[in-house]
Amino acid sequence: MDLFRRLRRPPTLDLDDIQAAVLRARPEPYFGTHALLEITDQDAGRELLHRLASRVSSAAHWDEPRPSWLALAISYQGLVALGVPEASLTSFAANFRAGMAGRADRLRDTGVNAPDKWEQPFGSKRVHVAVSVYADNERDWRAEMAGYEQQLHGLPAVRLLSHQDFGATGWNVFGYRDGFSQPVVEGSGAEPLPGDGRPIKAGEFVLGYPSETGHPLPMPAPDDLGRNGTYVVFRKYHSHVAAFNRYLHDNGRTEDERELLAAKLVGRWRSGAPLALAPERDDPKLGEDPDRINDFGYADDPRGLKTPLGSHIRRMNPRDTKLEVLTDVNIRRIVRRSTSYGDALPTSVLKDDGRPRGLDFIALGARAIDNVEFLQSEWVNSGNFVGLGKEKDPMISLQDSSAYFTVPGTPPRRVHGIQSFNTLLGGEYFFMPSLTAITWLADPGGRHP
Amino acid sequence: MSEQVLQEKFQGFPAGIREKIDNAVTDAKIALKVRLAEMLVDKREMALHAVTTAGRIGAKSGEVSELTAILPLKQNGAVRLRKFFKLVGGNLAGAGQVGTLHNMRFVFLDNDTKLLFATAYDGDWDHYIDDFATKIPEMMDYLFSNVEGWPGIAAPGVKDFITQYQLPAEAWFVSHPTMTVTEANRLQRQDAAVQRFLTDLN
Repeated sequence: MDLFRRLRRPPTLDLDDIQAAVLRARPEPYFGTHALLEITDQDAGRELLHRLASRVSSAAHWDEPRPSWLALAISYQGLVALGVPEASLTSFAANFRAGMAGRADRLRDTGVNAPDKWEQPFGSKRVHVAVSVYADNERDWRAEMAGYEQQLHGLPAVRLLSHQDFGATGWNVFGYRDGFSQPVVEGSGAEPLPGDGRPIKAGEFVLGYPSETGHPLPMPAPDDLGRNGTYVVFRKYHSHVAAFNRYLHDNGRTEDERELLAAKLVGRWRSGAPLALAPERDDPKLGEDPDRINDFGYADDPRGLKTPLGSHIRRMNPRDTKLEVLTDVNIRRIVRRSTSYGDALPTSVLKDDGRPRGLDFIALGARAIDNVEFLQSEWVNSGNFVGLGKEKDPMISLQDSSAYFTVPGTPPRRVHGIQSFNTLLGGEYFFMPSLTAITWLADPGGRHP
Repeated sequence: MSEQVLQEKFQGFPAGIREKIDNAVTDAKIALKVRLAEMLVDKREMALHAVTTAGRIGAKSGEVSELTAILPLKQNGAVRLRKFFKLVGGNLAGAGQVGTLHNMRFVFLDNDTKLLFATAYDGDWDHYIDDFATKIPEMMDYLFSNVEGWPGIAAPGVKDFITQYQLPAEAWFVSHPTMTVTEANRLQRQDAAVQRFLTDLN
């Protein structure tokens, strides 16, 4: 599927200064790497940024295909390690400063998802810099990685903490097409596709521009550091695909029954075709069509007879659903740059093979941290906002032992035994600086005291 | 019950609980101590009403949080607010649309120089302030612009502004801690359906 949107009008954002990852869609297929670095010496950290500054890709010409690009983001601990002045440090959002592990209670990351269960180096305060390379082919991925790795030479005080390759065809390890629903950022020039809704104010996704309130959202100081930057939420999930398959087998006698139940959990068929448009059976042609795959609302389905109110996509983007709680869905949008790792597991496999597979959930936006904390407590681990009480998101919540999923109907069907199909391996909050800000952060003499 | 019986009854509770009670409320009458012990020993009831945090500030019991703030009023702030409250007869019915508000009250203090605002609401402190800023900014700003220093509901510092005047409750009880406004609405609809069914049945 061609995921690149056309330009409809000239962009008004500073695309040369904004990182590519904010606007550039994940290609299909895609290849890449997420690397996490620790800065053990301030000067080495600044030298790293100085060297990488020219390699970080901008969002200029984001509408044209590009073989590979590199994104860079820095955690609060990373800013501290870089010796960023106190006045700037305190100008960052409080939840960003606390870090993801420090916000575990707000994120409802308890039990198996709690920070003390995370894999290293997440939550250790040693994760300072994240570098991600995205590519549309293997050769350019390798070349982009080699170019970046060369910059690490001679900087022993910058330590590689983890290196995780990813890649997929556009289908995740559960066998679902993913990553194709994104908000339209006003000022990017992007042409909205049918069903995208109105463009959302740029300030919701890039700092320094008017947001949906009419004013820019709070931004780190000085302007060179904050403007054109954004926040990033990174959460690495392990996907329990065999458990998902078992749940379908336990509750569906035939392939058709199982696939319908699976679609009810997600809100889409594996092809990406939405239940809203294909309520009875999968329609792979629809899943291939960028003009139709998102061209729907829920106004004609208030009870969720087609798309359950509690299904994953209806929770994550309720569109025109009448919610029980006063909510502005336009300020809860996030740019999603999630990537899959590991092999998919066929639907017939009911026993876990113990191999790593899952999803790196990546959300970008000026409110990304606020929003993921909101989503986790209100839309993922609760059903209150759509009148479903304690029922949780069927795909990404932390389920209790007595959990169930309700398929609306006459009568409704209550499907017991649902488990946590994705559990958290760790995560971090990052700030994704503009290209100007990377230079600012690398400049030890000039403006820094 | 005689003092003697109460004393014997109190001695029947675990030593740990007795010790805590004796230390905390040394001067309490034995009848009260027995009541406290009965409460503390009932682990299920205590867990049901456990007091947690509403996030940034304030107490929460189950799903229901409390907010109490005493805000300094501008000159004429009380006059303007009184006119508004009089216009609607003190009736804030429209607030039902928020969907997380159990109740709220506005009380003028200290010769109309201060406003007590108190509410019980569902969920965490931070969550819906942002939604108020884009969905009902006019209402929020009309009410609170009478407060000295109000930065505006959409201002970056508005959460810090409210927080500085909030007085977190030291104790907080909710009879049905899991009963959100949404749940109550759902149960009312369900009950109406059951009543209709019973009427039709007969």
